[in-house]
Amino acid sequence: MFGGWGGGGVLTLCCSSSLKSAFFLFLPPADIISTVEFNHTGELLATGDKGGRVVIFQREPESKNEPYNQGEYNVYSTFQSHEPEFDYLKSLEIEEKINKIKWLPQQNAAHSLLSTNDKTIKLWKITERDKRPEGYNLKDEEGKLKDLSTVTSLQVPVLKPMDLMVEVTPRRIFANGHTYHVNSISVNSDCETYMSADDLRINLWHLAITDRSFNIVDIKPANMEDLTEVITASEFHPHHCNLFVYSSSKGSLRLCDMRASALCDKHSKLYEEPEDPSNRSFFSEIISSVSDVKFSHSGRYMLTRDYLTVKVWDLNMETKPVETYQVHDYLRSKLCSLYENDCIFDKFECAWNGSDSVIMTGAYNNFFRMFDRNTKRDVTLEASRESSKPRAILKPRRVCVGGKRRKDDISVDSLDFTKKILHTAWHPTENIIAIAATNNLYIFQDKVNSEMH
Amino acid sequence: MLGKGGKRKFDEHEDGLEGKVVSPTDGPSKVSYTLQRQTIFNISLMKLYNHRPLTEPSLQKTVLINNMLRRIQEELKQEGSLRPMFVAASQPADPLSENFREAQPAFSHLASPPLLPADLVSTMPLESCLTPASLLEDDTFCTSPAVQHDGPTKPPPPALQPVKDSFSSALDEIEELCPAPTSAEAVAAESAADDSKAQPSESNIQKPEGLPESRTAESKLMDPLPGNFEITASTGFLTDLTLDDILFADIDTSMYDFDPCTSTTGAASKMAPVSADELLKTLAPYSSQPVTPNQPFKMDLTELDHIMEVLVGS
Repeated sequence: MFGGWGGGGVLTLCCSSSLKSAFFLFLPPADIISTVEFNHTGELLATGDKGGRVVIFQREPESKNEPYNQGEYNVYSTFQSHEPEFDYLKSLEIEEKINKIKWLPQQNAAHSLLSTNDKTIKLWKITERDKRPEGYNLKDEEGKLKDLSTVTSLQVPVLKPMDLMVEVTPRRIFANGHTYHVNSISVNSDCETYMSADDLRINLWHLAITDRSFNIVDIKPANMEDLTEVITASEFHPHHCNLFVYSSSKGSLRLCDMRASALCDKHSKLYEEPEDPSNRSFFSEIISSVSDVKFSHSGRYMLTRDYLTVKVWDLNMETKPVETYQVHDYLRSKLCSLYENDCIFDKFECAWNGSDSVIMTGAYNNFFRMFDRNTKRDVTLEASRESSKPRAILKPRRVCVGGKRRKDDISVDSLDFTKKILHTAWHPTENIIAIAATNNLYIFQDKVNSEMH
Repeated sequence: MLGKGGKRKFDEHEDGLEGKVVSPTDGPSKVSYTLQRQTIFNISLMKLYNHRPLTEPSLQKTVLINNMLRRIQEELKQEGSLRPMFVAASQPADPLSENFREAQPAFSHLASPPLLPADLVSTMPLESCLTPASLLEDDTFCTSPAVQHDGPTKPPPPALQPVKDSFSSALDEIEELCPAPTSAEAVAAESAADDSKAQPSESNIQKPEGLPESRTAESKLMDPLPGNFEITASTGFLTDLTLDDILFADIDTSMYDFDPCTSTTGAASKMAPVSADELLKTLAPYSSQPVTPNQPFKMDLTELDHIMEVLVGS
């Protein structure tokens, strides 16, 4: 299945009107993409960026003349979700950066999504309008009240077609629920509640109620000097609305059952792998810190990403992961400098494909990795403008570690650590992936599925 | 040893060291292990106190760095905690320092915040030294490092008068025994003489350029803060080496004599894209440390005993 990943196109979030143009020289840092998320049908794709903006892409309907253009995503709507704020009590800036976006299951013609920065979660409603009413009795075309003396007859207003307009309106603002930085939000399968996790606490909210949330996990010690572990990510089970998992900076996963008690400080299951003594180093704890956790679509497995590996856990086995894949093991000898330049704290995310058979995660040098769980094959691909022309087929890349270097191989020493792919998303049913590489969004699709094996 | 020193140095740089740095369990790599540990310790301290002003540091990062410091301190504690004083006492000031000052940006970071006095003195409970956890308290989550400290550690850096506790009295004692770092010029000649006397056949001679560098690094710290404990804290990592020197006197001392940027993080410096320049700059001060371990021999062993008495007794 790794054979035919082809360029779907680069979408640069510089300004939405010039989407199709290929080169930008000046790319302000506010455009750095900080999250990517498909909606439940895959028709829409949302990105959030450092500047607090949300850009929604919509998939174009299939065109018969140009089969290769099928699945092309174009900008649907752009809006400013969060603004920078200042916390006057702490004298600290609250960044506008969008940490996470989650789509709500669609329940009517409108789409809804949650977006969050470090502190505040917002619920947005995205609606389309392609008709407008005309012929009011008391208002003129611009909406101003008519002079009543001119109204002599009664008419029925009619809806006239107009250019499609996408309206985004804030529906709810869930503020003041978090003292620390929100790292995850997750909508429950009951479609009525969602949770938000910060470094030390997880809150449960009702989607319609903004002034109240319930604290379901609190790991803040009485004395902050005793603090050695933080929550790094959290997610609801896709089918059981009472179950959720959260990961920690010590590499463990805790599955909690909200039926057990209102405050889930005591986990139901603890998933933890004993440290491999042969790989012990100063950085053991940091590289074991889980940066992302995702339930499989089936709900049977959990996928976690730590600094060097991605792991698949069976919900029924707590002692060790069922599968461990090395993402970039060649960095193991470079941990000290990666610590010094802070790269070791990068939070790579991970994703399942629609059938839970392939997993994907990012790496450095604009590389991303895919692992086929059945064949155990893996591939390194590169998100670059050269490779993402329409119809171009992505060539697998290889990082060589000492020894012989084949043509096209890249050596570990020449990896660019400023080009990192932290955020990736996989279409819920099809083989379409979205890769965020700093300020570029790459969309690839697998066209010639398994032909090239 | 002297004759082929240059060549051996090259070999180490090329093969031996890199491997050892990453595998701290090897017997002979004890030195590079402690070196790496100290490098990491210093990087960690810098990270804790250097974050963008006005933004809240990531709690996850702070906790992980804190755990790292705790772990290293625990290790140091187990190995014994007398060593820092040797170094502090034996650091000569150097008039050359002016010329090298710009080249040592890393230490300017180190010197400004109130550093933890590491495993400064055995009389002090280590846990109480390790205060950065207070950084985490949400109320005191603040940008100014000076405010974050409570407990027995540290006067803030500008306070040139150390509080009159056991530390300062101990330090006073030491200063009486050793060249006072405040009178840099006066001491320079003396220390230079000391150096040549103390290490006539040691490896320093093989690599004389390393010496001024390391000493400037130290003296830079000492200049603005005479007698302050932060000095001992920031140079504390040398202590591992000095202890090793004493305990493993038969170790080939050329181990210490490697190239500034390849030594501490051999692997690191090979990573070109990680802004090699910056890395080099920041690492230079640490890596220059290996040259100094011989200096403690300047001090008479009875003096050391006396210092120990003072420290333990106070």
